Amino acid sequence: MKVMVDILGVNKVTDSEKLSGETGQAFEQKVISFGKEIFSHMNREKPGFLHANFWSDRVMEWSMAKPELKANMFRLVDVLPALKTSSAIARHVKEYLSQVAQTIHSIAAWGVNIPPQSIRARFASIAVRQGVRQMASQFIAGESAQKALSKLKTIRENKLAFTVDLLGEYCVSEQEASEYMNRYLEALNSLGSEVSGWKCSAPIMEGHPGEISPVCVSIKLSALYSQCNPLNFDRSVKVLTERLSNVVRTAQEQNAMIYVDAEDTANNPIIYKVFQDVFSLDEFKDFPYPGIVLQAYAKESEKTLLELLSFAQKRGKPIAVRLVKGAYWDSETVSALQNHWEPPLFQKKESSDANFEKLTKILLQNIEHVLPAFGSHNIRSLAHACCYAEELGIKQDQFELQMLYGMADPIANAFKERGYLVRFYVPLGELIPGMGYLVRRLLENTSNESFLRHTFFDESEIETLLKKPAAGS
Amino acid sequence: MSENESNFQNVPPIDFSLAESRASFQAAIDKTGKRIRGNEFGACPIVGGEFLSGGNTLPSVDPADPERIIGTVRLADKNDTLRALKTLKGSSKSWAQQSPEKRHDIIKKAGDIMLERREELAALIVYEVGKPWKEADADVIEAIDFCHYYAQEMLKHCTGRILLEVPGEKNIYLHSARGIGVIIAPWNFPLAIACGMTVASLVCGNATVLKPAEQSSIIAFEFFKILLEAGVPENACALLPGIGEEIGPILTDHPDVDLICFTGSKAVGLDILSRTATVQPGQQNIKKVISEMGGKNAIVIDEDADLDEAIKGVLYSAFGFAGQKCSACSRVICVGDSYEPFLERIREATGDILIGHPADSSTFLGPVIDATSRDRLLTFISTASQTQTLHFKGNVPEKGYYVPATLFRDVDTQSPLWKQELFGPVLACRKEDSFEAAVSVAMDSEYALTGGVFSRSPQNIEHAYLNYQVGNLYINRSITGAIVLRQPFGGSRMSGVGAKAGGPDYLLQFLQPRTITENTMRRGFTPELL
Repeated sequence: MKVMVDILGVNKVTDSEKLSGETGQAFEQKVISFGKEIFSHMNREKPGFLHANFWSDRVMEWSMAKPELKANMFRLVDVLPALKTSSAIARHVKEYLSQVAQTIHSIAAWGVNIPPQSIRARFASIAVRQGVRQMASQFIAGESAQKALSKLKTIRENKLAFTVDLLGEYCVSEQEASEYMNRYLEALNSLGSEVSGWKCSAPIMEGHPGEISPVCVSIKLSALYSQCNPLNFDRSVKVLTERLSNVVRTAQEQNAMIYVDAEDTANNPIIYKVFQDVFSLDEFKDFPYPGIVLQAYAKESEKTLLELLSFAQKRGKPIAVRLVKGAYWDSETVSALQNHWEPPLFQKKESSDANFEKLTKILLQNIEHVLPAFGSHNIRSLAHACCYAEELGIKQDQFELQMLYGMADPIANAFKERGYLVRFYVPLGELIPGMGYLVRRLLENTSNESFLRHTFFDESEIETLLKKPAAGS
Repeated sequence: MSENESNFQNVPPIDFSLAESRASFQAAIDKTGKRIRGNEFGACPIVGGEFLSGGNTLPSVDPADPERIIGTVRLADKNDTLRALKTLKGSSKSWAQQSPEKRHDIIKKAGDIMLERREELAALIVYEVGKPWKEADADVIEAIDFCHYYAQEMLKHCTGRILLEVPGEKNIYLHSARGIGVIIAPWNFPLAIACGMTVASLVCGNATVLKPAEQSSIIAFEFFKILLEAGVPENACALLPGIGEEIGPILTDHPDVDLICFTGSKAVGLDILSRTATVQPGQQNIKKVISEMGGKNAIVIDEDADLDEAIKGVLYSAFGFAGQKCSACSRVICVGDSYEPFLERIREATGDILIGHPADSSTFLGPVIDATSRDRLLTFISTASQTQTLHFKGNVPEKGYYVPATLFRDVDTQSPLWKQELFGPVLACRKEDSFEAAVSVAMDSEYALTGGVFSRSPQNIEHAYLNYQVGNLYINRSITGAIVLRQPFGGSRMSGVGAKAGGPDYLLQFLQPRTITENTMRRGFTPELL
């Protein structure tokens, strides 16, 4: 680990302590006033999916008004795309919502009290299906890259960048893995050939490393190998190294950027290993800013980051690191509790937020090795990153901010107007496999701990929202 | 008592996602492999603490590589068997009268010793019965859970309770040992089931003899030495590795035997029940038989099921440990339009599972237990293929007792393929028009052990709660892997007598309830009124 000390300048790493005194307080003031500016810019304008869409608005409103309805509502949304007939839809609506229908009058619009075989039921279920489709289309830009082109173009015309993500079912066989592979290659090829022709593909910010290409694809590695699991570690690494190389080769041809997404704690060691193995290959040694994702909710994340920084240093060319809070909290926590394992993730949301800030600092302190991308909808987290960058004299063209498509346009716009490069993470895919993603987004927006909920629904005090998170367990 | 009914907690499984856990387990595998090569393992009858020698032997082999002999088993014969029963008879009273606390401590300690040696025990399971890593670990921790849970439960039953009292009368209700217990154990959970049945009997104060399956004698031998190490008196327990057909009837028919606890095939289970119905000359007690037999378990996949979850759940339930679990899924019934997409995805998924030696951490599908089993299954598959539609048959290595993972579609409900328990990686699928019809087809079986449902309809799930009456019903998950106290395990119909292993009622079957009433009035006074 001695090498690490030199590379990373651990002295710099520990300067959170240095900042704890008066400087710390001054810095804290800066973060808060920066955050306030963002808030005033937004003027609490609601994200698109909340004002433009009757259905998502209703679902959110009902779910938050009646917590006992929330689970049923989301379970219903989850199953709907799998239902093929209107009577099946009508039956499920009734089964999930009839008990609560009495208490919320507007639920009648979903056809709870209509006999499933009736013509009215058919109309009601068409409306429901339409509603879910609309709701999903706020978060999912299209079934494929080809079909999402106009939405992607609009994003760039609005001076925002994008990275696309392919939604899909669990990959249970090699046939499905190869279908995924084809989808990735197809996405790279079709975006590569289309996007370069757009006027708006010119760099949003000249000289920004994230803008060396307008095309960027995020890869879910576990989709590329059906037998990927820790007990099959060596083979998983070998197979995925080959398959990711395949994708990267196409990316190279199409001059596209790549992010390798992080997944669950069990598979992440495979993912980080494959990332390093692929981008150590001679063939890809010049590949610009290969991207990887770091999850701040993981207790191991600091160690992982140090490894990644050390890798970047060894490689001699910087990598891109997208720092996020993490998306698998519930399933991983449940699995740990069921097995009586120590949960691998911070159990308090505030601790993840605090860790996000700690990792933000490490990333920015090592700016010569990384292109940091701060992925969050939490204005405090983002304001902290921007202010800390400024503190270190890091310019706006040396890092970027990332947000989920459709979740937080007002926040994205506010940062964009302050001169930051903002990139949307844009999911593509069919409705059935997209439902899991949609439900996670809905949950995120309605959870008691959701920053978005507090920002857009509860109108919490700005001071509270911008408060420094405390580190913990 | 906490709200959990007890303060019992399951032993956590090994988290194989951690590199250090995998390395440590790999070291145990390597060490066990070395000990096998060094001929360090073996088994023989143990009676009165004595390791008996002489007589016939049988090699126990690695089913994935039959040339590898795990150890030589010295088989118990008739004399050994009678000697064991005589020894137990001599000591059964003193063991039964041992304080419950003392018995609790001994059995709990047996669990603790296994916990310390969990990796080496699991590694031996990997080699002797061909079980993959995760499942071998699950086998060991289940055995430990049984020790800890039963020890604690026994204290509840064996401590006298006052049920209802009136002045001048003291009423005590308590349980005591039945006498001599015979345990006949299977090879498929070579440690968990053998241990669970044996310690349930012992902890209740029964002098106990264990007759393990021939195929897993070595593990049973290691387990038995742990019992002795933990402090079970030498004369209160005996181990008789041997051939079931030879010594089984001697054990079950013997007049001194009070209790028989069996897990295995329906044929043997029913034979034991009928044999023991005949009272032998000199027999004091009516024999208590606890019999756990097979299953022909079905998973119903509703039209609205989450297919991702259903495929994963079926794959593991049908092919985990090569389908050699009584809880395994051998039938799938799809409702309506779920059928074709399911068949398509399960075929591809089955074709890609990793087949290999179970000592290799990545192996999903290992061998079946022995040549007899393999030949029986292969013959059955080829016969069934003549009348039923073969949907997929995988490949297997040449060496070792492997049977290909096999899928049939549109299977006739009257065919042997649909009705008989096969105990191998063979899955029969069919389609029904409605959820209700699917559940009744699932229930149309002589067995009723486990069952599963994948559905997202609250109404259909409720229908299953009411009508899918198997011993263990699983909703939206796999149907194997019951965990002590979380899923007390056992079935009805020809699956068993309804004893729920790992549940709160299990020990009662190993015990004799007694009521003691004392008149406390003496010469015109009673202590309560003084």
